[in-house]
Amino acid sequence: MTRKIFVRLALVPAISILATLALVSIAGAIWFALMNRTLRSPEYEFVGAYNFLRLLRDSRFFNALEISALWELITVTGTLGLAVLLSVLIYETVQKPLWRNVICFAFLVPVLLPRVAAAFIWRFMYSPSLGVINYLCGLVGIGPVEFLADPSLALISVAVVDIWQWGLFFTVIVLKLMETLPRDPIEAAMLDNARRWEIHAYVTLPMLKGPLVSLALVKAVESLRSFDLIFVMTGGGPGKATETLDLYAYQMGINMGGRISYASAMSLLLLVVTTIAFTVIWKAGKKWAA
Amino acid sequence: MGRVISATLARGLLALLIVVALGPILWTVLGAFKELRDIVTPVPKLLFEPTLDNFATILRNPTIRDGLLHSGVVVSVSVLIGAVLGIPAAHALARHAQRFGDDVQFFVLSLRFMPPVAIAIPFIVIYLDLGIYDTLFGLILVYLITTISTVIWLSVPAFERVPRDIEEAAAMEGCSPFEVFWRFSLPVAAPSLFGAIVFTFVLVWNELLLALTLAAQNATLPVVAASITSLGKEVPWGVINAATVVLVIPPLVFIGLLMGLLNTSVQSGRK
Repeated sequence: MTRKIFVRLALVPAISILATLALVSIAGAIWFALMNRTLRSPEYEFVGAYNFLRLLRDSRFFNALEISALWELITVTGTLGLAVLLSVLIYETVQKPLWRNVICFAFLVPVLLPRVAAAFIWRFMYSPSLGVINYLCGLVGIGPVEFLADPSLALISVAVVDIWQWGLFFTVIVLKLMETLPRDPIEAAMLDNARRWEIHAYVTLPMLKGPLVSLALVKAVESLRSFDLIFVMTGGGPGKATETLDLYAYQMGINMGGRISYASAMSLLLLVVTTIAFTVIWKAGKKWAA
Repeated sequence: MGRVISATLARGLLALLIVVALGPILWTVLGAFKELRDIVTPVPKLLFEPTLDNFATILRNPTIRDGLLHSGVVVSVSVLIGAVLGIPAAHALARHAQRFGDDVQFFVLSLRFMPPVAIAIPFIVIYLDLGIYDTLFGLILVYLITTISTVIWLSVPAFERVPRDIEEAAAMEGCSPFEVFWRFSLPVAAPSLFGAIVFTFVLVWNELLLALTLAAQNATLPVVAASITSLGKEVPWGVINAATVVLVIPPLVFIGLLMGLLNTSVQSGRK
């Protein structure tokens, strides 16, 4: 068996399955977005850009767009902020490798949980009548707080769960990255009598700028798939306070009469945004790797 | 003196952080062994008479049992196919494809980042037309996007870490490319490859949106769990907690492996 045949046999099945499935779903989304197809009736016809034009006049779509943008902003900054803060804290206060490992293990647990499970765990704790958090709030004289039923709190409350899962995970990554940094610049700064926080703000964190930006972009793309968490915790409610784009597309495509074409137009939009973000990540990653 | 105080403060804060990370999960595990009257109390109870009723309810409920079975079939078949097709492809990309390798890797990784809803919506109609809507086969087929691409994505670096000398020496001895792959590269890279497969397993096991939209009746465990909020009149928190525990166990078994995967990838990434 020559090299060429081996490479072909190894690559072609995997790549052709992936390419077929990807092509079918993208071509399908474009095709359906140009029709007026619904799940209810078998008949449909070509309507051109009608679905896209209607999106522009759909206030619920713009609400979903706004919620998605807000969700991105809160979860990405929250996750990265928490990760940087905690990793510096652990780096400074925990020196024994054993304890560092214990903390890393504990911090990895939340991200491994299925989103559905994390959602239930926190719904249980947020519950106004029997949740632990409201019990603690009661001890200091607040509450009961309707974390998931109050429109002004619901999005933040769900975002806390996302940050709990990803912020702790990224803390472990940033800590591991800090451990691999060369010691010389840090020791030089210490000789100059720099304060602890100054060393991190001006020496270690700038050295990690590349990986931190990559992590932020990875989280940004990951945050776009928030469906599981929000679906189980609030279902998009109260009202439309937590309805992100993928939730709205799901409601349109499945629940509300199965308006497949309209939902396709929306998911295409999401696809374009994700692809652009992803291409930027890839290019940036190549640049830093070089 | 000030140092001692700040050190104690820091210790206390770290202990608190571990509680924040693990507390919610432990609280749910406790809840899974409680009767409803021990859950619905104004003051949370730490001491109570444990019961296995919640788990019994789950295992007796045919929907949940089916969900577990479907999850088992769908996840194992899709991960197995993903590994069988993805691992050789990753080896070919790491060692033999210099010219177009980057483009193929870009394509594979971009699939990892595709929003699931953009896959789900068109596939509903296509599956309805083909008559494979609500079948395990259909679900396995879309999961192949996730499993194959994730296995390739994580296995390419594993094969790149295999020392070139070994492969070149084997080739000099007259081994064909397939023999080099099967007898030398694969065993050397095996630990990292196992990590990649486990990671893929966790992703598919946790998946909700595609299962929810493409297999309404033949649903997997996350879908079933998401729908048991209202068994009967009261919210059955004990049963929900027990279902959550069952859902959580498989991924957590592999936490040590994920840690190892993280260690090697961070170190090789910085070189």
